[in-house]
Amino acid sequence: MDIIGFIEGPLWYFSATVFVAGALWRLAGILRFGRKPDLSVPRGSALAGAVRGFFLHFVPHGGFGRRTAFHLFAGYLFHIGLFALLFWAAPHVAFLEKRVLGFGWEPLPHWGFVIAAEAAFAGLILLWFRRISDPVLRTISDADDHIGSWLTFIVMLTGCLALQESHAELRALHMLTVELWLIYFPFSRLMHAVTFVFSRSYTGATYGRRGVTP
Amino acid sequence: MRGGQTAGFASNLRAIHDAPLALFSHVVIERDMRDLLRWPSFGGLCRAAMAALLILLALPSAAESPPGGTRGEQSGSELWRQIRQGQAFNLSGTTSGTPVLVQSEGAAWRALRNGPISTYGGWLLAAAAAGVGLFYVARGRIRLSRRSGRTLPRFTHAERAAHWFVAATFILLAASGLVILFGKYVLQPVIGVGAFAVVASAALQGHNLFGPLFAVGIVAMFVLYLKDNWPRAADVAWVLKGGMFFKGHVSSWKFNFGEKTWFWISSLGGFALAGSGLLLDFPWLAETVQQLQLAHIVHVIAALAVIAASLGHMYLGTIGVEGALEGMTTGRVDETWALEHHDLWAKDVIAAEAEKAKTTTPAPPFVPGRAPAE
Repeated sequence: MDIIGFIEGPLWYFSATVFVAGALWRLAGILRFGRKPDLSVPRGSALAGAVRGFFLHFVPHGGFGRRTAFHLFAGYLFHIGLFALLFWAAPHVAFLEKRVLGFGWEPLPHWGFVIAAEAAFAGLILLWFRRISDPVLRTISDADDHIGSWLTFIVMLTGCLALQESHAELRALHMLTVELWLIYFPFSRLMHAVTFVFSRSYTGATYGRRGVTP
Repeated sequence: MRGGQTAGFASNLRAIHDAPLALFSHVVIERDMRDLLRWPSFGGLCRAAMAALLILLALPSAAESPPGGTRGEQSGSELWRQIRQGQAFNLSGTTSGTPVLVQSEGAAWRALRNGPISTYGGWLLAAAAAGVGLFYVARGRIRLSRRSGRTLPRFTHAERAAHWFVAATFILLAASGLVILFGKYVLQPVIGVGAFAVVASAALQGHNLFGPLFAVGIVAMFVLYLKDNWPRAADVAWVLKGGMFFKGHVSSWKFNFGEKTWFWISSLGGFALAGSGLLLDFPWLAETVQQLQLAHIVHVIAALAVIAASLGHMYLGTIGVEGALEGMTTGRVDETWALEHHDLWAKDVIAAEAEKAKTTTPAPPFVPGRAPAE
């Protein structure tokens, strides 16, 4: 087996297994924390608060709009672009159909791919600039934040370098970086892609029970 | 010729009429010509023999009823002259581009790109790098006389965001562009043809993708920085006194003449790069192949000029001048740095800061457990 075969075969299965098992292990760990018993009389619905908290935090509110405008713009630019690339880029749809799910869907046209990629790169560069230039964010950022940002950037970059789809070496390089990303994901803050649902809902439920809009 | 080769050759001819591909079509034609010159296989010989037999059988009937004359409506030389001079034809199946069979300007474009531009461009970059090295040897690192401990605001968050956005995309574009332009001469002999094909493909895709981001960034940067980069009287004195090439400091506003020169080179060069690059990235915007060739030449010349100038900018902004980088990383510079390098601007900012301090009421001291006064 050559190196390309190893990357696209055993290493892919290994990294996918680490990703799934690691993410489930982390989630199980979070859920096992449970919650503190709250003996106070509920003033509102915890469930309604959880739902409200989850959706309200998609947009800034309570006077934070102006201060978070840059973060909001760059954040949406990056996440929407990355989401579109991940699930609608034609090579990804073909890969998911062939190697993972057994079925596919209509991919983005090439111009759509280009726009999504431009948005994702622009957003990620701006977010990383904010991380190193904002005094507070710079102080609270650690190696994990920077590794996660750079690893994601490198994965996107190698994917775009392989866009011509005419060299197996470039495809394998992209696969290799994706596999590193998958292995790193469960043990880093990249997990926020999954845990944001729980953290927002938990906060929303806590405040909702107290009759307060989170 | 095998059937597959015939189809391949026909499709390559079709590709010539597609504007985006026509620029590089000589490559595929050369490859097909090499295929034609290969020693034929036994099957190929059989097919050639069969074709020759069919032609011989058809000759008598062709001589009896020539379609429009045995040599057509025009003589062969006239037809080929028209083709050579870029005569357009009505071609079926051509959906885009110019239906020109032989586009002679392509040879001139290729000779210019691979000849003088590559040669002198390489020398330009080497000269720029050598110039930076010589400046470092002659002048050394320009150090601050002392740290004042006080800082002045130099760049806003938006100005820094635009700068680093353009810098990030520029570095990626410059690296990939240099691979595209010089890789055949520099990388290919080292890593081989196969590996270079992979690197060149990656460089081209990355270059095409980051181009539009650079275009957006350079426009934003131009708008944000323009107000401080108009020529002023102090610039004349700065030039007459030799700027920073000699010991001592010369008065200047927020940007000295050297920095303003870099601003205009990078902005105008950036606009040329962005405009020509967008045409190359989205070739259906061009009406003719010649426009794409011109865009390519403009793109390469502008890129070489901006990359060469950027070497000086990057050196002076990082290790060349102590304290300069802080302005672009934190947004603030040491007061001594400001007074030594940009005294006219610094005095204005110090006065403005003092005025602001007078009119701003200081926040009351924080007392735990007590709500702040409204």
